[in-house]
Amino acid sequence: MSDPRDNVQQEFLAEAQELVEALSRDLLLLDEAHRREERTDPALINEIFRSVHTLKGIAGMFGYKHVGAVAHALEDLLDDLRLGRTMLGQELLDALFDSVERFQKLLVLDDPQSPLEDAGVQAYIAALRSIGIAPSAEVGDPLDKYSIDAAVLSVLTEYEEHRLRACIREGLQLYRLRAAFDLTAIDDSIESLRADARDEAEIITYLPSMEGGNDDTIELVVLLASRLSERDLKTLFEARYGVVERIAERTHLQTLPPQLTSIPAAPPSMHAPTGEDASQASARSVANSVRVDIRKLDHLMNVVGELALVRSAVTRIVDRFQVESPYRQSMMDLDRIGRTFERQLSELRTGILDVRMVPLGQVFNKLARIVRQAAREHDKQVRLVVTGADTEVDKLIVEELTDPLMHLVRNAIDHGIEPASHRQVADKPNEGTLALNAYHKGSSVVIEVEDDGSGMNPHKLRDAAIARGLLSPDVSDELSRQEMLNLVFLPGLSTSAEVTDMSGRGVGMDVVKTNILRMGGMISIASERDIGTKITITLPITLAIIRALIVIVAGRTFALPITAVREAIPYMPSQVRTIQGREVISLRGETLAICDLARLFGFRGAKNQGGRFVVVGAMGNRELGFVVDELHGQQDVFIKSLGKSLSSVSGFAGATDLGDQQVALVLDAPALFAEYFDGAERVRALESRP
Amino acid sequence: MIPSRRKATLAPDPTSETGAVAVLAVVTGDEVYGFPLSAVREILVPPPIAEVPRAPESVIGVISVRGQIITLLDLPKVLNLDVDQGPTYGRVLLVDNGEELIGVAVDRVIQVYRMEPEHIEYASAMSAELSEYVVGVGRVAAGPKGGERMLILIDPVSLFGG
Repeated sequence: MSDPRDNVQQEFLAEAQELVEALSRDLLLLDEAHRREERTDPALINEIFRSVHTLKGIAGMFGYKHVGAVAHALEDLLDDLRLGRTMLGQELLDALFDSVERFQKLLVLDDPQSPLEDAGVQAYIAALRSIGIAPSAEVGDPLDKYSIDAAVLSVLTEYEEHRLRACIREGLQLYRLRAAFDLTAIDDSIESLRADARDEAEIITYLPSMEGGNDDTIELVVLLASRLSERDLKTLFEARYGVVERIAERTHLQTLPPQLTSIPAAPPSMHAPTGEDASQASARSVANSVRVDIRKLDHLMNVVGELALVRSAVTRIVDRFQVESPYRQSMMDLDRIGRTFERQLSELRTGILDVRMVPLGQVFNKLARIVRQAAREHDKQVRLVVTGADTEVDKLIVEELTDPLMHLVRNAIDHGIEPASHRQVADKPNEGTLALNAYHKGSSVVIEVEDDGSGMNPHKLRDAAIARGLLSPDVSDELSRQEMLNLVFLPGLSTSAEVTDMSGRGVGMDVVKTNILRMGGMISIASERDIGTKITITLPITLAIIRALIVIVAGRTFALPITAVREAIPYMPSQVRTIQGREVISLRGETLAICDLARLFGFRGAKNQGGRFVVVGAMGNRELGFVVDELHGQQDVFIKSLGKSLSSVSGFAGATDLGDQQVALVLDAPALFAEYFDGAERVRALESRP
Repeated sequence: MIPSRRKATLAPDPTSETGAVAVLAVVTGDEVYGFPLSAVREILVPPPIAEVPRAPESVIGVISVRGQIITLLDLPKVLNLDVDQGPTYGRVLLVDNGEELIGVAVDRVIQVYRMEPEHIEYASAMSAELSEYVVGVGRVAAGPKGGERMLILIDPVSLFGG
């Protein structure tokens, strides 16, 4: 497990994964700008180029031959793009997006050198090489408009020269900023200049000035291209940096001022090409964060748990000694110190949990790619609107959430959002909207997937359920609209493609629901014909710590997550009736199915009849009463998974130490609900309505 | 990952020149068992045990060891052996099976033996009826009067691991 080679390999994979994700994110931005026919941001292309370049480097180091080869070919293509040798087009964008999928596939290969992949990779590389749109033929060199000295041009890199031409061609005005920089802080100063310029002006290059300041400062001449007027640019830069001058075009002035016409042999270290400077900046920001194996955090959490146990052992001793007078004062002091210790410990626990939190944006970025792909497949126009991408949840949840969300997003585009032609008829904008919203609500996170598509037809769902034999026709008359919509989560209903087409949605919605329930979450659906559909997922922020109701069943202690508990009522054996072989009681006029946990688990020695309780559990729209012997109040428990050896045992989400080494199994409410209601009798729950 | 389980399980004691293996001998039910000492992390007085309904019969329950939840096994039941007397569970061995720590309840712990390779008869050379959890049988000298003791050598990697 701790083979150092494995660790290094994991490090590589994690870094490669991050690079591919960054690549994917930047490509989406590029794609969006392209679709809006906006100007392509050269900084973005540089960013993409850098990700691919780094990936190529590390892939080579770790023997990921195919990843390296693909990255190399991409890098060439991006270099052409960056230098204006080729233009951005749909074909090229598609190829770039393909590369993301391809990298992801190649990174999970058991054998990174696998000859099986040779053919595929070679074909892809060949395809990449064939892409490329030559830039439109130039009518004269735009540089001719300015008389820039050959000495200046000769120190420009190919990239800088290309950007200079491109900016002039776009009709940007050239400016010269002459500014003195403190030698000790030059990196930071240039960084802040770049930040200030970002949206307003493009920095072509920095050249050292002839009148180079004094010992502590250096004067640079910065060549800028901007759409702004000279006056605006002066406002932007003059207060903080130095003098801005417009570089006049040749028709107005034949020669440039000396600063740019004759350049002393520039010391190379002073010449900071744009690309490298930015990569230094990003390296710096990366240095502020560390990548941590989640198992290490689990270990820390265990240590915290251990400390809490030590603390409670100390408390017990203090309690015992406090009554014996000679040490009374010292024991009171010790007690006070103990309390401080406890507070710090709880802060430590919160701190570790906080480290586990990651923004949902990680998942949303993946989804954005799915949206683009699905929309293109179906030739639909879809606008993705994301809010709350910075909402944080436990890392484990983020991972578990990816598949269900992908599914929902695909469904929304496949079946929800209509083609433009249909939308026009319905008086909707051609472009459909898919919204992903995330926000905190109490100790839960809510995630919504909402589309403005055709909505679902509850009656069709009901008819499909009857046709599949999942619902008896006489029960179906009693179903409310919401209950009909909920039928979409029934397993038998949604796996059939034929029914899916009819109902308009829902391959594998049951799987989505199961996954969400497994995390202790809930899923609900709202849909209106022609207005759209909204799926709402509610999840606990962290899987690790839950509030639980402690119950006793036949002398054994169990913890029941409070999220699944609605109330607890006294158990009245005389009121139990049996309907179709199941025990039920009446609760405020409604029928409630009950399940005796002692019987379910085959325990003997449960209390006979009197003094027991029914804990009413609720999952989604279903309710079930669990019969227990005693209630022992609520407690925050740190839930630990049962070992691999018990992974096949169902009904338990894990176990927890209640203190004093007393272990309680944590009941898996979703699983118990599923066990009780599903299987052959999954629809009977619907019949338990009065 | 590990090229040969058996070899890894009974890795020779590096301090021994003859390739001897350190084995912890324990008694449970009617038999004496040997665990490679390298796989035994700790010997505990049994903490409170929480029964796990629906678990295989060989699982006694789960225990908490400094906050970590550990599955506790009944060795004769894992090996599918009939036991005349009921278990007393006097000690718990925490055994590393390569993936997780497993608790093994035993009646008592005897001692650590250094076992020379020639005193181990591997299961492959014996009948095929032996449980997959058994590496083989080892013979050690028992007591000053001579005589031999037979140890059933357990392969911890196969105890729900591997």
